[in-house]
Amino acid sequence: MPAPWPETANLKFAPSAKPWENWHKTVSQAFAGTYTPFYPPTNPDTNAQILIDCAKDIQVAIKAAKERKVRLRAVGSTWSLSSAPATEGVVLDTSRLKGWLKINEGNLDPGYKGGAEKRPGLFLFQCGTLVAEVNKLLESDKWQRSLWTSGAANGQTIVGATSTGTHGSVMDFGPLHDHIVAIHLLAGPDKQFLLERASYPVLKPAFAAAIGATPLRDDDLFNAAVMSFGSMGVIHAVVIETSPRFLLRAETHAPVAVDQDLRNLIATLDPEKHPKLKGKGALNFLQIVINPHSKDAMINAMYKLGWDPAHVLDYTLKEGKIGPGYDGLGIVGEVFKLFPGLIPSFFKLAQGTIDSKTKTLSRGEMFGYKAPQLKVGSGSVAVALTDALKTLDLLGALMDQHPAPLVFGCRFVKPSPALLAFTRFPTTMVVSLDGIYNDQSVAFFAKAAETLEQNNITYTQHWGKVNAYTKARLDKAYGANVGKWLDARKKLLPDPADRAVFTNAYMEERGLAG
Amino acid sequence: MRKMKHVAACSLLLASAACAQYLVVAAEPRYAGQEKDRSQVSIAGGTAASPPQVVAADCGPGEQLAIVRVTRNFGEGLLAWLTLGLYAPATVHYRCATQPQPGGGEINTGGDA
Repeated sequence: MPAPWPETANLKFAPSAKPWENWHKTVSQAFAGTYTPFYPPTNPDTNAQILIDCAKDIQVAIKAAKERKVRLRAVGSTWSLSSAPATEGVVLDTSRLKGWLKINEGNLDPGYKGGAEKRPGLFLFQCGTLVAEVNKLLESDKWQRSLWTSGAANGQTIVGATSTGTHGSVMDFGPLHDHIVAIHLLAGPDKQFLLERASYPVLKPAFAAAIGATPLRDDDLFNAAVMSFGSMGVIHAVVIETSPRFLLRAETHAPVAVDQDLRNLIATLDPEKHPKLKGKGALNFLQIVINPHSKDAMINAMYKLGWDPAHVLDYTLKEGKIGPGYDGLGIVGEVFKLFPGLIPSFFKLAQGTIDSKTKTLSRGEMFGYKAPQLKVGSGSVAVALTDALKTLDLLGALMDQHPAPLVFGCRFVKPSPALLAFTRFPTTMVVSLDGIYNDQSVAFFAKAAETLEQNNITYTQHWGKVNAYTKARLDKAYGANVGKWLDARKKLLPDPADRAVFTNAYMEERGLAG
Repeated sequence: MRKMKHVAACSLLLASAACAQYLVVAAEPRYAGQEKDRSQVSIAGGTAASPPQVVAADCGPGEQLAIVRVTRNFGEGLLAWLTLGLYAPATVHYRCATQPQPGGGEINTGGDA
């Protein structure tokens, strides 16, 4: 009989009773069991000792997996639609680790380059903190801060979302992981680093020592680990910079013709090029959702406003009158497989439900809780803005030939220094292929990548969504950065047995398991 | 082919018609871990149930529930129909809710930057 998996007072192991599934139930994987590290049950205020103890518990789990030659993968909310977090080994469920610290002036390294606006807005969050909780904490009257960007939803953990490249569509900011300036990385069973960029030191070495970590400053190592979907060890905590608190005024314009005005807007991101946005000022956020079935579009435009002291924060999920049920998309997807001719009518019907009221909300309220849904289909292709129109034309033609229950959500992101950031072009247009998960959608995701390839368009794809990456495609898209990322992994995890622990099939299929 | 499609669609419709789903979610959900599934049978219109209640004993210390949904599939619906509701099985799915975010702290590393 094999030895039982070791436990501690706040680390529990449970053998698997059924296959592991991602939140939206589009990925299923047989696995060995789950390790769950818990925050101390009395839920005390976070301090250095709690961080030390939680890290120790995680390293007990890593050691046990290593000794048994079993793989281990840290997961957050399991929000990814790709199999990036899946493992046949042990799942490390980080969802209970929600501690946080305010970084004070005395913690800052003399070389910190953050200006007066950033210095009061640094926070450390443990890996299991939800984006929703980050928003609520930051935007409180006590701290009066905001994230610069986030994904559309808030159910991911901060490390889960950042490790897979979650992005928004903010005109002057990169993806969510560009908030991160320090990473508490557990690199195997007995090493832990407080990793920062050498070019951007933030915390005194004494801060690293206080949480039991070794300070390590290296641009390439940081830029590899910050977006590595669990491949470099376990990211126990991250330190983020934040913005002074602000509000967003959101306007929705729908339906909008897919005409030359819209094409000019997409090609330039200049609001003056479109009659709906002309004269309204600088955009903070722009999303253009093209419905390839009805051949029209929706524009979501947001404008940054100063904070209004009279604004009352309300993050709660609201009940509607009628809408898709929890797994309604799964049923609709099955119907579309039988009757693909119904897809355009469905999307025309769905268009009638768009809420086009102007809203003024905080970022956390705007990108807040969503009605829970299964079988959400979401893939993506990301291209340089200079290739945006050609890409959309090709995808539109592809949809005419191979209808799938998807729309094209165009989002625009500034480049990130992370080595495998898929938002890597001077301005990236991410086309989020969003809709219903079924065989038609999965086939479309694959065909979209093939089509861009055949037309010599350089593209990347979202790591946390359905993607068609292969080693050859990664090399083409990321060039020398793939080698740098692999080298960084070997430096952070020099023992091949440690690298084996933090490997999964997703990495192997993409040539990232070295 | 067309006929087969219609048969498949009718079967899907029939199967769906027997199915039901009810969902309760916290207003600010803090989902924890994987969804758990338990069977429960309502007997004689709820006069009795087996088990009498589903206990979420596998949630962690201090944890509540984030989401609960009750589903009835075609087979469960058929059983309830055949027994005139005297024996009405369903499946209860739930996810635990983590504890609220704790209070924050600071680390004193001494001096000014």
